[in-house]
Amino acid sequence: MNQMSFAPQQPPPLPPVPAGFSGDRGEFFRLTARGAALELATFGFYRFWLVTDIRRHLWSHTAIDGDAAEYTGRGKELLIGFLFAMAILVPIYLVYALISIEAERLKAFGSIPLLIGLYAFGQFAIYRARRYRLTRTVWRGVRFWMDGSGWAYAWRAMLWGCLVLLTLGFALPWREAALERYKMRHSHYGELQGSFAGRGSEFFRQFWWLWLLSPIAIVLFPLAPFAYAQFKAREWRWWLCGLRFGAVRLDSKLLNTAFYGLYWKVIGWFMLLVTVTGVYFGLCGAVVAMLSGGPSAAPAAISRSIPLLVMIGLGYLVLVLSLNVVMRLYLQRDLWAKVMASVHLHGIEAAANVGAKGDLASALGEGFADGLDVAGF
Amino acid sequence: MDNAAEDAAAAGRVRSAIYFDGKSSRRWAVVLAFGEQLEISAEDLPPVLWPYSDIRRVDGAPGALRAGCLSAPPLARIEIRDPSLAAELASRCPRLDKNRPDGHSAARIVGWSLAAVLSIAVVVLFAIPLAADRLAPLVPEPFERRLGDAADVQLKTVFGAHACNDPAGQAAFSKLMDALGKSAELDMPVRPSVLATPIPNAFALPGGRVYLLNGLLAKANNADEIAGVLAHELGHLKHRDSLRELIYNGGTSFLIGLLFGDVTGSSAVVFASRTLVTASYSRQAEQNADTFAIDVMQKLGRSPKAMGELLFRVTGKQGDNSLSILAGHPLTEDRLKRMSDLDRPASGPPLLTAAEWSALKSICGPRDKV
Repeated sequence: MNQMSFAPQQPPPLPPVPAGFSGDRGEFFRLTARGAALELATFGFYRFWLVTDIRRHLWSHTAIDGDAAEYTGRGKELLIGFLFAMAILVPIYLVYALISIEAERLKAFGSIPLLIGLYAFGQFAIYRARRYRLTRTVWRGVRFWMDGSGWAYAWRAMLWGCLVLLTLGFALPWREAALERYKMRHSHYGELQGSFAGRGSEFFRQFWWLWLLSPIAIVLFPLAPFAYAQFKAREWRWWLCGLRFGAVRLDSKLLNTAFYGLYWKVIGWFMLLVTVTGVYFGLCGAVVAMLSGGPSAAPAAISRSIPLLVMIGLGYLVLVLSLNVVMRLYLQRDLWAKVMASVHLHGIEAAANVGAKGDLASALGEGFADGLDVAGF
Repeated sequence: MDNAAEDAAAAGRVRSAIYFDGKSSRRWAVVLAFGEQLEISAEDLPPVLWPYSDIRRVDGAPGALRAGCLSAPPLARIEIRDPSLAAELASRCPRLDKNRPDGHSAARIVGWSLAAVLSIAVVVLFAIPLAADRLAPLVPEPFERRLGDAADVQLKTVFGAHACNDPAGQAAFSKLMDALGKSAELDMPVRPSVLATPIPNAFALPGGRVYLLNGLLAKANNADEIAGVLAHELGHLKHRDSLRELIYNGGTSFLIGLLFGDVTGSSAVVFASRTLVTASYSRQAEQNADTFAIDVMQKLGRSPKAMGELLFRVTGKQGDNSLSILAGHPLTEDRLKRMSDLDRPASGPPLLTAAEWSALKSICGPRDKV
């Protein structure tokens, strides 16, 4: 208000505005636990609705400048996208099988280069899946959208991937910067075009000592989660600080140590759940051995008991589903909350009156990503 | 607080809300009025009217009511943060919560999934075996031979083995295969070979390839034992089992994988269910190949029991330590019993002379007695 006294030519830039996540942890837990149970009951088909509900929860509890985002995707869209993707993937898989037979005839394991083709297709799917998610993201009544070509992206990803392989990971920061530039250049919020200002060299300065450390961290177990958490935190911060939509700029104060707790909690839960399952398997075996009567009959009874096999199968499923819940709770929800709490936006006035633009993309990309097992958030 | 004061507060209260018109990201501070329709107004905003029956709730921040309107631009939004005002609007909108995404009934998804699983189960158990049986004979022979060639290259790389070709042994092996081949009446050329590896086994590949591994030769006591095993493999060729199994396994793996998708940890479930169904299919094929082998041996006037004895020597009694529903073969003791039941004194001439038999035994080079 007191700025008015010296009457500036242009209005002064507004102070940076925070982003934030206000979701209730208990609610998210109930959402994923119920989802896991339903995934079991529906033989996995519920995954489309679960992933939609998770995104709706994360998006609608994420507020930027006081206004919450909205996710408008639906589970049914994902199911249809998946079915379409299958209809396209099936013939591709068949042709792939026929070509690999020919290649194997010429040389044993000569079909391995074909796997690279599938990898390229996976990159295409990643791009298209991102497009679907972005066009379902709405803030202040205007949607985000994306153009560009999935194949152009896959091509870049492959070439950069070769370079990363040849340099043993040294080129990774430049790969990420180049791919992110492509993705952001083709991302839009209404009429605002996105861009990515992060540079590979900046990321490299953050990351080179982790790269040198990585061979030791892989061997020395307690070091690996620390190193990985450091890497992810630095990567997130670098990425966030590079994001631009028109004149809107993001800034993140994420600490390098921000993810230590998350990864160790996941590891702790993992060990606990595996131990509990191990004890449960042991108890099941003991019960079967006791019922078989006599220690001599026990080993045979254990190896032939069908009820035991069913009990072990159930125990395994429960283990897998609870691990899923743990991973979603810590590595999706908590990670998201931590990241969002660190974000500020500068120049938000540039987004005060942005015209709406852009069409919805189909969920086919998500279907491919599901079919090729490269699905993301 | 008394009623009069409350009324006064209500009358004087400004029904303020936030409005986004869905055409730009401009944030309008608006005043709501409840007339025939919802009236949304602000100073420089052309008046907006939303029919109550078109208003639908959408996802928004907790504690606020955010709604869109079917007859307005799809992303136009009204956001009310005052709970009593939100309740007032909600009471006027009869279909506010119709078609909510969390209204998707879990029971319906479970029901449809069960139906899908049931149909996939029917396909796996009935349609794919049928398709495999019908398709296998239609596969052109050159293609089948190519399949066999590809597998042959891979196989020799994996085992690190070469085909044995001691001339005397090879002559004995050919004589044995010729006798069996005549009796088996195959409609394709057979390309048999002995591989130098200590693993006791034998198998058939598409395109008429039959492999006898030297480890099995080492464990055999007479020519009838080996002849029975080879006849069993010829049975697989005759029934085109490897091709059928390829079609069957490919089909079931694909469908079961489709079912479980990328649920983390599902690969174990995929593996387990596939093992169960393909094992039963493969047991059936083994049973048929045994029938064929017994038939061939009896036509040659030799006892099928010898083969059962060799198998038993190799595997031992299996019933105690394996689960029969997971096994790809019938239990060896059951196979031995079946072959013993059909045992008859030999009526035909021996398939190999003693000299030929010992030549066959050392086809991969002389060896020490095991």
